[in-house]
Amino acid sequence: MRILYVEDDPRSAAAVGEILAQSGDVLVWEDNGSAALLRAGLEPFDAIILDRMLGDIDGLTITRRMREGGIGTPILILSALGRSSDRAEGLDTGADDYLAKPFEPEELVARLRALHRRSTGREHSAVILYGAFECHVKARTAFRDNRHLPLSPKEFELFRYFMENAGEVVTREMLLRHVWKMDFDPQTNVVDVNIGRLRRKLEDGFERQALETILGSGYRLLEGRA
Amino acid sequence: MTEARRSIFSRLVGGAILLSLALLAGLWWLTHQTVSATLQEAAQTEVDVDLAGLADIYATGGQEELEVRIADRLALTPMEGSAPHYLLADDSGKVIAGDLAGWPSLDPTVSESGVIAIGASSKGYARAVQLGPDLRLVVARTTDIEAPVLSGITTAFAAGGAVFILLVGLLGRFAALGLQRRIERINLAFREPQDGSGLAVARRNGGDEIDELTAHSAAALARMGDLMAAYKDTSEQLAHEIRTPLSHLDNRLVKALAENPDRAIAERLAEARGEIRRIVQTLESLLDIAASKAKRGDRSGLAPVDLSALVTAICELYAGSAEEAALELDWTVAPDVTINGDESQLRRLVTNMLDNALKYVPPGGRIAITLEPGPVLAVADDGPGIDPRDRDRIFERFYRGRTAGRETSGSGLGLALAHAIAERHGLKITLDDPVSDGSGGAVFRIATEA
Repeated sequence: MRILYVEDDPRSAAAVGEILAQSGDVLVWEDNGSAALLRAGLEPFDAIILDRMLGDIDGLTITRRMREGGIGTPILILSALGRSSDRAEGLDTGADDYLAKPFEPEELVARLRALHRRSTGREHSAVILYGAFECHVKARTAFRDNRHLPLSPKEFELFRYFMENAGEVVTREMLLRHVWKMDFDPQTNVVDVNIGRLRRKLEDGFERQALETILGSGYRLLEGRA
Repeated sequence: MTEARRSIFSRLVGGAILLSLALLAGLWWLTHQTVSATLQEAAQTEVDVDLAGLADIYATGGQEELEVRIADRLALTPMEGSAPHYLLADDSGKVIAGDLAGWPSLDPTVSESGVIAIGASSKGYARAVQLGPDLRLVVARTTDIEAPVLSGITTAFAAGGAVFILLVGLLGRFAALGLQRRIERINLAFREPQDGSGLAVARRNGGDEIDELTAHSAAALARMGDLMAAYKDTSEQLAHEIRTPLSHLDNRLVKALAENPDRAIAERLAEARGEIRRIVQTLESLLDIAASKAKRGDRSGLAPVDLSALVTAICELYAGSAEEAALELDWTVAPDVTINGDESQLRRLVTNMLDNALKYVPPGGRIAITLEPGPVLAVADDGPGIDPRDRDRIFERFYRGRTAGRETSGSGLGLALAHAIAERHGLKITLDDPVSDGSGGAVFRIATEA
């Protein structure tokens, strides 16, 4: 992926640069809003990462201007302002995702992957296939090796989110936001427990593992082929 | 809202109209009584003067002369005043002269006077006198003129009054509209403080009381705006200046973790990262509490939220965790309970209440959530309950109850944030009094502030 990063703090820029280099992405860094706006209008990017508090134009204004200017590239705001209201403000302005500093390196990579996938339109099909899994979005049914999986409505939504991000790391924050509409992490271990229940339903009666836990960052759906 | 409201100005105009009506009615009644009395008096005077003249004639000319004079007077039609009527009769009431049909019920021996019927439809004032041993006389004047005069007065009052009331209404409405518009500007500025800049304009009315109120309001709104802006700037800077270095620190730890294969060191590094998360969470909760407190009573930005769906979804999310902790979690949610609110914050409020219950209720316990219209949300448990000494303080920041063991994790901000969010929505969290049988447990009740 080719990613534009707008950040006025060189240390933050260097840190993000390292993370994305490791995940095999190309980062283009701009340290001010005007240059970033110009660049985003001239070159194609797969995603844009924006800081909110910049020297010249703030990140929200850049987002608004890009959207008004017809730039539809997915925007992720990476900011030190991390309260729910800050997130809501950013998403309302036209950003596609919002991540607060400090963050897990894997979280940033996972979010960028998810954004990119969404923008390339892979998630809108009626039936999502991945390995041994089938997700019938309209009928709200799930199968593994053609065997019906008895999922509750919420479990189905969880499963569907995994299918939309099949093969990629899905973080706890992503699940909370997309499946339960929560922009904070409750004190109780609700995500782990609900994933555990989904995992049992996906794996009951099958030999191979279906959901992989990636320590410290999240979960990944596996192909689950025998 | 503006139209349906009872406006002070419509009440003032209404009051002015009612007062004018009452004054007019009083004035009409007074005029009516005065005119009526004057006409009566005039008739009495005429009768008495006439009677004195006729008595004189009788004294000097005798009965025959009197009969002639009565006939003469009856033949004349008066130019003004009312027509005279006479009756000369003997003591048995037999008519000798005059135009009255029969003797009225007036006693001539005491010169009685009163109102009598004259003809078929008229009435009049009359006095009877005894002229001689076998002669008596009645002189009467019709008071028919009274009715048309009085009805004329009534008509004049009605017509004039209608015009007067209309003028009062119109002028009142006109004055009220002017005042209302000025007051409404102030109200609008307070309703939409974001667009409150419109208040700071020239004094068009020479600096009267409303101008002063407008100026005070504009100043108060401006100050409020400045405070909110300063508050927002400060909290954003605070967040930025703390989170950015923490972020750098976290990056270093991540790098160190990646480079160091030693398990013991890696564990310490991971713990350090955990501490960083906790600092960030505490900072965030404090800022959230401050923001909620600052917005208390401010209804802007709130939208209808389906509380029934929200509570059900959160209970479903927590069901598994409760089961794993060997707790029984039950919820009874009335359908279609809504509230005007911030959905994300309300979710936080309910989540914090559940986090709190799951944290303190020991295995084998029960947690019951009830949502009723109102809305009233109750979170009840049969855990150790709240120490009476803690009851008043559990919603304070960083206050940890006595029943909380040392091993219980948490920032000590969960209930404080829940409390602040409730207040921002005009709700209040209360703790039910403990049941007297000592069975313990705690019941938190979130309901509209009384």
